[in-house]
Amino acid sequence: MFETRRLSSKIILQVILTIMVIPFLFPLIAMVQESLSGQGWGNYRAVWALGVVPEFFRNSAIIAASVIVIVYVLTMLAAYGFSKLHIRAREIYFWMMLAALTLPEVVLLTPLFSTATRLGLYNTYYAVVLPLAALQIPFAVLLTRNFVNGIPDDLFDAARVDGANAAVIFWRIIMPLTRPIAAAIVILTLIGAWNDYLLPLVFLQTPSTETITLLPSYFVSEFSDDQTKVVASAVITAIPEIIAYLCLQRLFERGLTAGALK
Amino acid sequence: MARQPSAAAGRAAPKGRGRGPRRPSGLPWILPGFIFVVGLIYYCIGYTGYISTLNWDGVSPNPQSVGFHNYDTLFHDPVFWDTIRHTVIFFIVTFVVQTALGVTFAALLHSRVKLPNLYKVIIFVPVVLAPATMAPIFRQIFSATGQFNTILSDIGLGSLAHPWLAQSSTALPVIMAITIWEWTGVTFILYFAAMTQIDREILEAARIDGAGGFKVLTRIVWPNVRGTTIALAMLSVIGALKTFDVPYLVSLGGPNYATEFLGTFIYRISIPTAEVGYGAALSVMLLILSLAGAIAFGIRGMKRN
Repeated sequence: MFETRRLSSKIILQVILTIMVIPFLFPLIAMVQESLSGQGWGNYRAVWALGVVPEFFRNSAIIAASVIVIVYVLTMLAAYGFSKLHIRAREIYFWMMLAALTLPEVVLLTPLFSTATRLGLYNTYYAVVLPLAALQIPFAVLLTRNFVNGIPDDLFDAARVDGANAAVIFWRIIMPLTRPIAAAIVILTLIGAWNDYLLPLVFLQTPSTETITLLPSYFVSEFSDDQTKVVASAVITAIPEIIAYLCLQRLFERGLTAGALK
Repeated sequence: MARQPSAAAGRAAPKGRGRGPRRPSGLPWILPGFIFVVGLIYYCIGYTGYISTLNWDGVSPNPQSVGFHNYDTLFHDPVFWDTIRHTVIFFIVTFVVQTALGVTFAALLHSRVKLPNLYKVIIFVPVVLAPATMAPIFRQIFSATGQFNTILSDIGLGSLAHPWLAQSSTALPVIMAITIWEWTGVTFILYFAAMTQIDREILEAARIDGAGGFKVLTRIVWPNVRGTTIALAMLSVIGALKTFDVPYLVSLGGPNYATEFLGTFIYRISIPTAEVGYGAALSVMLLILSLAGAIAFGIRGMKRN
């Protein structure tokens, strides 16, 4: 975009860019520094010694995996139906689902709370997994439907002429050809489910169900606000997220741009 | 299920040749997802609408029906109007700053700088980190003895140092700064992707005509990424209305309601205060505002296309 033929302009751009990213790096450096102040690595040992960290991770992993499975299966089925099959008044169904796209989860709190208590789902994974999945599906269907629209109709017509029914077509054409968008959806759902705070805050009450987003507040009560240990626990939860991103950088970036590009 | 091709199916069918075998009904395919999403969400919305007419603490067996009293309270509640004001300010500031930063970063990283991937990772990492994970360190950074004040005094601006989150006038800007830190990565990556689709020849032609970097950015790049800007505006409106994690975790909506948003206010009223009826009325307002925001920007986006 900018002229980079002269050495001086090259250096200027590089310097501007470097100065601009410092504020983005700063909180991460401050975080590591803070977690090592006072007792140094002792902070991490104290956090780990409580033994609950793996439990919080396990809970987050189970919840995220369940949400991903539900979102993936229901989205693929629905996207195929919306895009390539015959449905009367299809846009009405579609827009009814899309309206849920704008829904803030805080609106669901009271009804979910009283329903979950009545059904005995309070403090279980279900109370978090089901609403999270329901909130993620509309956007996933929107993305996947657009993607499936791009698969030529001729392919489906040819398969039908050869005698394939809808289930076979779904399995043999839709599933393999939607892999790129499926990866994007898995990543988007993962970020959404893993980082969610409000639903676990309201519905999960014991370390045996709580997710890693609740870990800092758990340690605030555990260490009566010994800030360095709380921050150390935050670093522990941040590391896997950063590693996952570095390993799957392409997928993360494609996941977020999938909706914006045709 | 009816199998005649409807007008919609006819339009989608390939033109210029006879109709092939009829398309099977798609209803069984969409129903599982449709029932799950629409069932759960519309059930909750309906339930919220009903609760909003009650005076209820959420547990007592005989809630008292009060009609539209909760809505009346809401319009006379100064905190409600505060949350609306904060949301509007928050939307404008975060959207403008993120757009400016996102476009600049994207343009810079399209300019053959060294180590582009390193910069990309630094800008994008905040997106994958949970706000809940970052909240403790942000509270620390902006506290009276925090790193931000240390830096200020190091660069000779020590007179500006104060407890940023404890003062009404600076708490909201801090919340906005944290949000910008967290979401600029998304803005950047979307503009970066949009810019790869701009025709190189147009850029070259402009340059040959003597346009400088700034002119290329404002006259050619900016109009070409307009679609992305509109999409981001809509995301920002919805995001501003949904704001919960950062103000709740970093400043608890305070001090003195200075960082209260609809989300934190509804939570506070519904769960700790247990004025469930009033919380539901606030939820209904939030829902109306979200839909209105989405429709307003959605329609603008469609007109542009």
